[in-house]
Amino acid sequence: MGAILSLKNIGFSYGESWALKGLDLEIRSGELLGVIGPNGSGKSTLLNIIDGILIPQEGEALLKGIAVSSYNRSSLAKEVAMVAQENHFRFSFSTLEVVYMGRFPYLDRFQFEGKRDMEVVYKALADTQCIELSKRSIHELSGGEKQRVLIARALAQEPTVILLDEPTSFLDLKYKSEIFNLISSLAHKAGLSVLVVSHDIDLTARYCDKMVMLRDGRVFSTGAPDEVITASNIEAVYGCPVIVDKNPVSGSPRVSLR
Amino acid sequence: MTDTTIEVPLGPVRVVRISLLLCVFLALTIFISLLLGTADVTLDQLWGLFVGDPDVKETVRLIVFKIRLPRILLAGLVGFSLSLGGVVFQALLRNPLADPFILGVSSGGAFGAVLGIMFGLGFNFGIPLMSYAGALLTIFLVLEIGKKKMGMESSTILLTGVIINAFFTAIIMFFVSTAVDDRLHSMLFWLYGDLSQSNYNQSVIVFPFVFTGFVVLYGLSRHLNLITAGEETALQLGVDVKKAKLICFLTVSLVVGLVVAFSGLIGFVGLVVPHLGRMAFGSDHRLLMPVSALGGAVFLIAADTLARTVVSPSELPVGVITAFIGAPFFIYLLKTRGSKWARS
Repeated sequence: MGAILSLKNIGFSYGESWALKGLDLEIRSGELLGVIGPNGSGKSTLLNIIDGILIPQEGEALLKGIAVSSYNRSSLAKEVAMVAQENHFRFSFSTLEVVYMGRFPYLDRFQFEGKRDMEVVYKALADTQCIELSKRSIHELSGGEKQRVLIARALAQEPTVILLDEPTSFLDLKYKSEIFNLISSLAHKAGLSVLVVSHDIDLTARYCDKMVMLRDGRVFSTGAPDEVITASNIEAVYGCPVIVDKNPVSGSPRVSLR
Repeated sequence: MTDTTIEVPLGPVRVVRISLLLCVFLALTIFISLLLGTADVTLDQLWGLFVGDPDVKETVRLIVFKIRLPRILLAGLVGFSLSLGGVVFQALLRNPLADPFILGVSSGGAFGAVLGIMFGLGFNFGIPLMSYAGALLTIFLVLEIGKKKMGMESSTILLTGVIINAFFTAIIMFFVSTAVDDRLHSMLFWLYGDLSQSNYNQSVIVFPFVFTGFVVLYGLSRHLNLITAGEETALQLGVDVKKAKLICFLTVSLVVGLVVAFSGLIGFVGLVVPHLGRMAFGSDHRLLMPVSALGGAVFLIAADTLARTVVSPSELPVGVITAFIGAPFFIYLLKTRGSKWARS
């Protein structure tokens, strides 16, 4: 089966140097792809290109074989959902209202949500264990709960691709594993193409099928987690001495500072 | 709730029901305002006028239909528009302290109107058009200056609005003070928001624009919901943010600019009413917009009735009343909610 999303020879510059250069990347459906790399290595730029917010100067980004830039905002929102790192709700919305926001691209200008929207939102809430949160204000939720609600909103978009930008960065260990379990079920059970950008190398390596390691806007290494997560790769990209061994239970690579 | 669906937070029935309830409330406010004023109009007389009783005195008929009703109608339209403008600005700037007056859009419109008067334009077409141009120019000026260094930081934009507001008010004062034309002298009173010169003609001019403006903006109510969650979020959820914002700014400037041409500077309506609406009915603009607009009409009719009765037989500009209510309210919002809104 072909790739849902494929980036070919992408080059993007904000003005001076290349933020991304010669980048190739593919995701199939049901695949969980982890993207790691130090700050400034081009991870956020990559997400914004897939989401059509930035248009690359070189190469092409194809979604289901069609250039991302030729989708309009609303048809793109039906294919690609983003769970962003920062979310500030200035006004108080209930969890339910936030998740229903994901139905935006499916409704006409003066249309209200109907039966089909109610089913999709119910499933999104159920899949993320958010049903009991639905009446609460988004302002009252804990970091982990809020992250789940935002994933539910992304699912309400009924996308084929979900992008997550450091979904676990402000969470404690319990919530981190909860979120990664959820993300993994989206790819492996629901069959979505999931791309997660993360600073949690161990967790990403533990859950992802494939990894991409970026350095200075270029793919430094890509492949299965144990091919990418090696002491020499990490030292070359992050510039600090590490030991990489195996998690004794899962067998996935584990990074510790030397 | 059944097994496989979950209720919607808001349905059209609720929007219509609450809007109709507010319409009844609005009608009641209009009725009470017709009774109140320097001259006595009794309930019997007013009722007689409505059912066509020929015994009602001609003076009463004149007071009700020629003096009070046109003023009340205009107050309602102005309140409706300013409050609608407040809701939309607050959503676009993601700041609950935004309002057409605080952002300088009202005084920009007033500046346009004063220029119109100096050029000898008429109140039917030329002056409202100038007022619209002034309002539109101001909003783009405020956005442009406000964003220069800080990105789209909404408190910077608000501050820019305050400064522009002060600047335009000063220019208007300058023109008023140096003018030889009698019409400009009477404008001083109008600077504080004055509805005493109202006639039906003004409402007839304003109404179609306000109505159309409301429909256009209501069509963007879900867009505004998403924009309050952040422009990038809105983009990712499928909103054409640039287009939505442009339509909103053009429409709100039109509506606000027009009413300013006939009412002068009336502040804080767009601040107080939407906030109360949000506390009572939540943040969904599909409900908040009609609630705030109708609530704004009620609020300004009540405020104007106060303005013409508290110091009877003389009158206050209605802007004095709204400022008396609105300024402490603004401070209260800043004190109680300020910390939450300070970060962007």
